Amino acid sequence: MTQKWHNLSERGSPFALRLILWIALHLGRTIARAVLFPITLYFLLLAKPQRLASRHYLSRALKRPPTLKDIARHIHCFASTILDRVFLLADQSDCLDVHIHNADLILDRVAQKEGCILLGSHLGSFEVLRVLAVSHHKLPLKILMYPEHNQHITQIFSALNPEVADTVIALGRMETLLEVGEYISQGYIVGMLGDRVVGDERSTSCEFMGEQTPFPVGPMLLASTLKAPVILFFGLYRGGNRYDIHFELLSDKITVDRKNRAEELQLHTQQYANRLEHYTHMTPYNWFNFYDFWNDQDKID
Amino acid sequence: MNMMPPKELEVAKMILETLNLEDITPDDIDPKAPLFRDGLGLDSIDALELSLGIQKEYGIKLKANDDNITQIFSSLRALTSYITKNSQ
Repeated sequence: MTQKWHNLSERGSPFALRLILWIALHLGRTIARAVLFPITLYFLLLAKPQRLASRHYLSRALKRPPTLKDIARHIHCFASTILDRVFLLADQSDCLDVHIHNADLILDRVAQKEGCILLGSHLGSFEVLRVLAVSHHKLPLKILMYPEHNQHITQIFSALNPEVADTVIALGRMETLLEVGEYISQGYIVGMLGDRVVGDERSTSCEFMGEQTPFPVGPMLLASTLKAPVILFFGLYRGGNRYDIHFELLSDKITVDRKNRAEELQLHTQQYANRLEHYTHMTPYNWFNFYDFWNDQDKID
Repeated sequence: MNMMPPKELEVAKMILETLNLEDITPDDIDPKAPLFRDGLGLDSIDALELSLGIQKEYGIKLKANDDNITQIFSSLRALTSYITKNSQ
């Protein structure tokens, strides 16, 4: 049941994507943002699984039954960040107002060539950081992700900025984490997202938004194996053209006692879940896990 | 299954020790079966831990972009033969 988001087929045809891309690059952000309203309406009416997921999520986040307007706002927020990826990747990020908090956490480590794990989530946008780090500041950054997901969009975005596309370390191979270890020992920042459990990946149960929720233990296990610092990252969309990037130190060094491995990994993962919850409450419409995150469907069945 | 060659047995013990697999004995490992996914069911984290264990125990550094990395980790027998060849 944890692989649902992988099975959701990508909505929107390649033609529509290319049309929006053309509008964005030739007519500018203001006009492209106007197009987001019909797109939001389209998803609101036709993307039933995503709409249901949004409803379930928002009822937790807002602590009341969400209205259709709340759900539309949620979809619109997501669409806005996808559109802004175009401007970021096409090197037109001047139209965005990005505020970075605690950048020294990263910059100091880069200066000392100390590798670290940058742990993000599907709350907000990873791209805003990836582009600024790679294109603007030339920071040594790699991102760990599944390459096949959202194929059309991935192809379009890769073509827009091959340098940024090149930062991906593909997950799902036996030697993936060996590669991560090598990059970290060379002083790279290796980014990954810690909120989705994929397939039969190892997970642990954490209290999140008032409920026991499975989270992957991979990031903490990796950090303890490599003795690498873990820095949390949240790239939040605040409406209009404003983004806030927050960095927080989770731990300089995760040590896990072999005898209590499961318990200690759970504690570190819970710390991550706590911070994720904090920022989720701060910016509820940034939650971009449009699938049955809490297995609500199973509970109803 | 007690016919396992001494070096293979040693590597099997190293794998189980490194990965903290207390409920498995060397006899449970089919020397020709895949270590990852289908066989022992090891994953990428295990591969990383195992490579660090091999480095510590035998001084051999495995690299992710080694052409034959998949082959080296393909079975206990393949791994043993790689370690034997490279640890002298």
